[in-house]
Amino acid sequence: MAKEKIHVGLEIGTTKVCAVVAECGRDGEIRLLGVGESPSRGVRKGEMVDFQNASKCVHDALADAEERSDQEIKSVWLAITGSHLQSFNNRSSSSLAEESEITEKEIGDVEYKAKEISIPKENVILHSIIQRYYVDGQEGVIDPLGMLGTKLEADYHIIHGVMTRIQNTIRCVKEFDIDVDDVVVNSVASAQVVLSDSQKQAGAVVIDIGGGVTDYIVYHDGVVRHSGAIAIGGDHITNDLCIGLRIPITRAEKLKIEEGSAMVGGHPPGEKITLRNDTGFSGKEVDRELLNMIINARVNELFKILKKRIHEVVPEHLLGSGILLTGGCSMLRGVREVAEMIFDSPVTLVHAHSVSGPTSAFENPQLSTCIGLVKYAQAVNADMPEETIMSKFKKLLNFNLGL
Amino acid sequence: MSPYPHHEEPAKEAAISLIGIGNAGVNITDRLAMRAALPIRTIALNSDQQSLTASVASKKLVLGPMTTHGLGAGGDPERAIDAAKESLGELQEAVSGSDVVILCAGLGGGTGSAVTPLLAKMAKEKGALVVAVVTSPFQFEGRRRSQQAVESLAELQRHVDALIHFENDRMAELVEPRADVSETFAACDGLLFQAIGGIVRMLGNPGPLPIAVNDLLSVLRAGAGGCLFGCGESEGGNRAHESLEQALRSPLLDRGRLLQEAGKILVHLSGPASLTFAEVAAVMREISKNTSASAHLCLGVSSAGDDSAPLIVTIIGRTGVEERKSAPAPSVAMPSISTPPPAAPAPPVEDKMVADPEVASPTTKTQKVKQDFLPLEPIARGRFERSEPTIVEGEDLDVPTFLRLKIKK
Repeated sequence: MAKEKIHVGLEIGTTKVCAVVAECGRDGEIRLLGVGESPSRGVRKGEMVDFQNASKCVHDALADAEERSDQEIKSVWLAITGSHLQSFNNRSSSSLAEESEITEKEIGDVEYKAKEISIPKENVILHSIIQRYYVDGQEGVIDPLGMLGTKLEADYHIIHGVMTRIQNTIRCVKEFDIDVDDVVVNSVASAQVVLSDSQKQAGAVVIDIGGGVTDYIVYHDGVVRHSGAIAIGGDHITNDLCIGLRIPITRAEKLKIEEGSAMVGGHPPGEKITLRNDTGFSGKEVDRELLNMIINARVNELFKILKKRIHEVVPEHLLGSGILLTGGCSMLRGVREVAEMIFDSPVTLVHAHSVSGPTSAFENPQLSTCIGLVKYAQAVNADMPEETIMSKFKKLLNFNLGL
Repeated sequence: MSPYPHHEEPAKEAAISLIGIGNAGVNITDRLAMRAALPIRTIALNSDQQSLTASVASKKLVLGPMTTHGLGAGGDPERAIDAAKESLGELQEAVSGSDVVILCAGLGGGTGSAVTPLLAKMAKEKGALVVAVVTSPFQFEGRRRSQQAVESLAELQRHVDALIHFENDRMAELVEPRADVSETFAACDGLLFQAIGGIVRMLGNPGPLPIAVNDLLSVLRAGAGGCLFGCGESEGGNRAHESLEQALRSPLLDRGRLLQEAGKILVHLSGPASLTFAEVAAVMREISKNTSASAHLCLGVSSAGDDSAPLIVTIIGRTGVEERKSAPAPSVAMPSISTPPPAAPAPPVEDKMVADPEVASPTTKTQKVKQDFLPLEPIARGRFERSEPTIVEGEDLDVPTFLRLKIKK
């Protein structure tokens, strides 16, 4: 393949639909060509609630992306999120006849067995990510292909979700005769571009706080140890403000972005923020302390829930590289500080790196997932060892979903 | 008036007794005994042995162990009276030796309805100041219970110096419609708890600016008009503002709107020694904004204790002009103790016209209207009202965190 390949990543988010068009060189270089965006309607908590409106937004975003990148979009890689996503770790084993060489077939076998577990019948497996192999009890085998052994075992991280909800998202794109190359869970995609290999080794958590959903993924020893999604996001903060301060939702959103902070204190006591009047809104004075307190309560709670979930699977001391925050809501003032206090480990705000193109695009944490999709696509296409399984799995998935 | 009495030993602490009567009364007494470190004597009084066993009151009294066998009056006032007759001696003892007796009961049942007026009479005869804090039953509890409550209330009014009456129906609006039963009852109890706590604080007020007992009584005097009550408590930098806001949010004040109609209002601020004059002034300014120009405002301030004590703002008022009602006749006017004045005093002149249903019925109707105005706090899910709830460990995370944690509210 001499020609460079174009990949498109599409995320139908709660706040906005965005599509990233990028050119992937064979040496792994990614160049962004254009980003299309459209404010999202008909999506709540990362899931479709109004199909007509949502597909209109998808259309707008794709059209915008086509125009900006000067490329025709034929297929997209689609990000999936929502509270229906679940994950677990599973070990499977397969015995080999005598002492023979491990081939692709044996590896495929062991993966197949890993997925032979009971998930609810309306669910479908989205990802099965290899964690490590064991050959005759020998730990830490990265690639058993070509080794000799009598017993091959493997640990897999399996992410599954409700099939119909995933299909709805796919149908939304297919409406416009655009193919879906594959669906990728948000957190998996984000991790592709915000984490470096060394961070994956040392152990790190990526928390992607979006509008309606917060996705998280935990890496350790270079592999995915845990992942999940919780349906709390920036919208919840806005809603809290709307109720707590008794202001319209649009004003609450604006106030959150312009003045809000997740940290309480640090301002003169009794400081007021004046909201100017507007059509249908008669202006109001808002107490800064109250504003920040409401945000703080929500953010605090979110991180506490995440901490509990993460530490159930991975102990704190294994997370050498700390916490990486991304997603639109991570840009809110004070979120990083609150996370630092709760997790008691270093927290950094991150965005996509190792890509080229307009800086404003890839440095935007709102686009981490979309750029991650492209990177994921490139990795699958480049037939990297870890990803071969995924591309094979992709066929299986497409089969499962009846695409 | 000695200007700064809090520097001296108070000449004599008023001895206050709180008597909880019946199941509801005992519950609230327990709550007070457990949560608030108030300098009062608590007595739990019931014909049901079981509820007393669990009580933490400093003194417990089973009524008529022979009559009811400690099994309760079963909602029958007659039975409760018999029980009370049996234990007359103990009752006499319970009410004696106090300067102030606060009676607390849920009317409508057996023991509460029957014994409370009796105790009020006895306490009055002993020369104590008698304050009754009572609730009337939920409407859905049936006619019989509400009838019992009405009769008991009428009887009670004859003997007490002050009466605070809450309607359970109205208090149920305090909580979200989705709240479970125990939460609703807890919220009702909580309001009563606040009311009693507020009165005790006012009575035992060390100064620097005490509220005269006379003022308190004139506001609480069992008479016409509805009782307004609000209480808020807060600490931290913005405590004055926050506690006032909380107090005004009380459903019995209708977000402060009912203050407009109040003839006389008592405002009491109790705070730590660090309470500043500016804070007092700010609270009073805010309150006077909400009141009518002719309203009579009484202010009491007590600042004592260490700096960790919260600032508590208590507002008690009564709607309507101050007028001493003639001996309250047990008539239609009785159920409207906590309703606005236009409805309440049925002047004796009208008695002749009672035959005309046109006159009699509007009285009962108007009293309803006012109560229905109370705003119902919607369950605060806001824009997530119609989306799938995010439930983590049994908590609905769509409801704002600050509401669930009760940081502000």
